[in-house]
Amino acid sequence: MMARSFDTLTAAEIAAGIAAGDFSAAEVCVAALDAIAAREPEVQAFLQVTPELAQDAAARIDAARAAGEALPPLAGVPVAIKDNMNLTGTRTTCASRMLETYESPYTATCVARMLAAGCIPVGKANMDEFAFGSSTDSSAYHPTNNPWDTARVPGGSSGGSAAAVAAGMVPLSLGSDTGGSIRQPAALCGIVGMKPTYGAVSRYGVVAFGSSLDQVGPFGRTVEDVALAMDALVAGGHDAYDSTSQEVAPAFAAAAAAAGEGLAGVRIGMVPAFMEAEGLTPEVRRGVERAAQTLADAGATIVEVDLPHVDAAIAAYYVIGPAEAFSNLARFDGIRYGYQEPGCTNLAAQSALSRAHGFGDEAKRRQMLGAYLLSSGVYDTYYYAAQKARTLITADYNAAFAQVDAILMPATPHAAFRHGEISDPTQMYLSDMYTISLNIAGNGGIVVPVGLGEDTGLPMAAQLVAPAFADERLVTYAAAIERGLANGNNGASVLGVAPAFAGKGGELR
Amino acid sequence: MALTQEDVRGIADYARIALEGEELAAMTAYMNDAVAMLEPVLAYNLPDVEPTFHPIGDLSNVMRDDAVAPARDLSRDAALGNAQSTRGDSFRVPSILGEGEA
Repeated sequence: MMARSFDTLTAAEIAAGIAAGDFSAAEVCVAALDAIAAREPEVQAFLQVTPELAQDAAARIDAARAAGEALPPLAGVPVAIKDNMNLTGTRTTCASRMLETYESPYTATCVARMLAAGCIPVGKANMDEFAFGSSTDSSAYHPTNNPWDTARVPGGSSGGSAAAVAAGMVPLSLGSDTGGSIRQPAALCGIVGMKPTYGAVSRYGVVAFGSSLDQVGPFGRTVEDVALAMDALVAGGHDAYDSTSQEVAPAFAAAAAAAGEGLAGVRIGMVPAFMEAEGLTPEVRRGVERAAQTLADAGATIVEVDLPHVDAAIAAYYVIGPAEAFSNLARFDGIRYGYQEPGCTNLAAQSALSRAHGFGDEAKRRQMLGAYLLSSGVYDTYYYAAQKARTLITADYNAAFAQVDAILMPATPHAAFRHGEISDPTQMYLSDMYTISLNIAGNGGIVVPVGLGEDTGLPMAAQLVAPAFADERLVTYAAAIERGLANGNNGASVLGVAPAFAGKGGELR
Repeated sequence: MALTQEDVRGIADYARIALEGEELAAMTAYMNDAVAMLEPVLAYNLPDVEPTFHPIGDLSNVMRDDAVAPARDLSRDAALGNAQSTRGDSFRVPSILGEGEA
């Protein structure tokens, strides 16, 4: 067999190749670590690379195969883990000075399930500090560069997880999405990213940001790979350690394959106000229209739907999110874990100075806003209004889903922006205009690449949204878009690895 | 009504984040921008709409067996391992009211 970089293989192909004996898990592991060594200096997707954990996991896969045992579905597939997820043997820093030395005391359920499915953990991925952001520039350690143009951001907050996949350093990664933190970086990096319905994936062991909003999900370069990761994440059923986790059938890979049967009888909604929104660039709009045409070509009917209260989503989110973040981050008092200011003579000063010097600017801003919104006299005005807006936004989605099976919309208003281009925090918040209402309502969404923009040459994406706990539909329809757009590209993926990094290191012998 | 720097100092006290000088001034500007951005939500303070606090609405008082779970419980070493100041089997904290040793 001719030597080629492992980045030409999907997760499904890696697992199949190992099972068939074409190559070993150890060889894949070496290739992934070699690709990381070659590409990471320009991308900086990782906060920690874990060669020993990866080699140990790969050795276990190879030993199991040698012993004739059946291999798990993602056996030998390298995976990157967002650094807000605990994994024993790694630090979990949330890209914050606050947790610079924090050693994971246990492993998050989502990570444990990926490992149980055979994945080999190659490292912890960079992020916006405590997941507050849309650029990954608020990491306390270093920015991450978009593999399609290293002068630009990968999006955020799961920017390291997205960039690692887009640069071909791993075929799969995990992120978390509180207001768009999986879907926006997937769109900006030209890969597939999925936020399942709230409750589909356990949050146990993931550092909390907004407890009624946070949801874990996968990134991959193909819909099939994301579907395989979803099956791994839900296969263990309800997690007793997260009382909000729900039973979800591991039927995602089957749902992705079902796209081959076409979409006859499927009704897809589009929201005219979203397609005409101020700030939506023409190339993104054309990309979403291309996705709509592809769905129609596969047999779906496209109809208009309305979400009349969704305009309130950003304001509602920036009440609920900061309020929940303030409550969750109150635990960082410098005593049991986290940065502790030295030399303080009383406890209050130690707490206030540890928090002032351990947290970065955006983490402080969100907590200050949350503290204000939860204070006496203010709480009644904003917090209840936001939770009532939530009721109306959820009702809007329910009404729309009485007419359609899913809704197609943009994922982001524009392509990846340059580092530092959006410096005003409240302007940055508008990056989430198309993603945020799903975290408010709780239902799931998937982002799928639709090619490069005619104006910027950067990745363009579309987002599909389904009713709560109908996430398998997302995978079917996204796979239909992928198939429709990938013609001539062997059906493998719409964009693939970013060209500047494709084939750079990572040769699989 | 705009939040003054003294208002924001009070919020910082409540949030236990020490803010002074330029950082306090910048935070005051941010807080006023952010609160202005939240204005549209005030239109939703409607008397006939029930609030939704959580996407999984019927969840309350989840109970589990009152049993030790050795696989999950942190060992004392693990529990103390991420603290910056410990003494023996305890977390070490400064005096609550001051006066004590640093």
